[in-house]
Amino acid sequence: MSAASHGAGCGVVLGIVLVVLFQQFGYVNLSDLLPTIEYLLIGAVIGGILGALIGWALGRSYLSRHAADAAAGSSR
Amino acid sequence: MRLVHSRSHRIGLSVALAVVAVAALLVSVPVPARASPTLAAAPAQTSGGVTYTVTWNNVDVSSASTLSSALSIDLSQSANLNYNWTEGAGAAPVTISDARLQMYFLGFAVSTRDQILTNPVAGSGHIPLSWTPVSVAYLIEGAYRLTASFIAPNGTTMWSENFYVRGTAPYGFLAALPIVLLILVIYEVYGLVRSGRYAAIGRKLEGAPPSTPPPETPPSEPASAETPPSAPAPAETPEGTPPPTGGGS
Repeated sequence: MSAASHGAGCGVVLGIVLVVLFQQFGYVNLSDLLPTIEYLLIGAVIGGILGALIGWALGRSYLSRHAADAAAGSSR
Repeated sequence: MRLVHSRSHRIGLSVALAVVAVAALLVSVPVPARASPTLAAAPAQTSGGVTYTVTWNNVDVSSASTLSSALSIDLSQSANLNYNWTEGAGAAPVTISDARLQMYFLGFAVSTRDQILTNPVAGSGHIPLSWTPVSVAYLIEGAYRLTASFIAPNGTTMWSENFYVRGTAPYGFLAALPIVLLILVIYEVYGLVRSGRYAAIGRKLEGAPPSTPPPETPPSEPASAETPPSAPAPAETPEGTPPPTGGGS
């Protein structure tokens, strides 16, 4: 599993959870079905995109900081 | 290597602490929904010459028609609602037999409370309704839409009004569901931070040689050479022998 796909998975869950959390704190109204589905989908999509970008960037930074380990691993 | 590991561990810990701090800030910041509802007299709701009003603990619910002006309530405390209807001059007489209150979540009525009059009469009147919001107050809190309805004896909704409440858990106790959601958020953010490590692991796995099967151990000799290890042959009935018949009497 790549860093981007792992980040996207985390971001999707995070986006959905944040929408429900905002309802719990009184910022979002989830009383009606259709807007609720829209909010959850938007949260999942935005979370997935942002998570993939963050995961990709973190993966690159990690590999640049651990270049020797990665080279040793690939030459093995 | 250990230094790098402790550094990444420290970063993960600091991110988790930051998330907790942000969540605590969100909880402590006064939400507009928490503001006490305005007690200014709301315009009376008239339909067909009849004026309908619903009060929640003596507060007109029409003042909480938006999420930002939601009534702040304690989910474990009972609320006293009062359904009033007043006929105007020259208005056709109406008969109300049922005052209904419904609480909605995800488009479904999660709670319904009815107060039914046994002998409704035409004309003005009022119906008191006492309602304890939810019995699982320690679990769920949040903003919900409620609908107050005046129902005629034939089941027709004569008038209804939507308003919003923000239910809080008793004694300021942070309810269980937000706590679970916060833990999920922290876990997912931690997983996101760890994604760089996952990338390195994935790359190592791609470069690793295919795993060789473990050296085979010689099969142990069977205890008896005459009994092969294969499955025993099924018992065959000799040809020509009729199958046994059931015992006749």
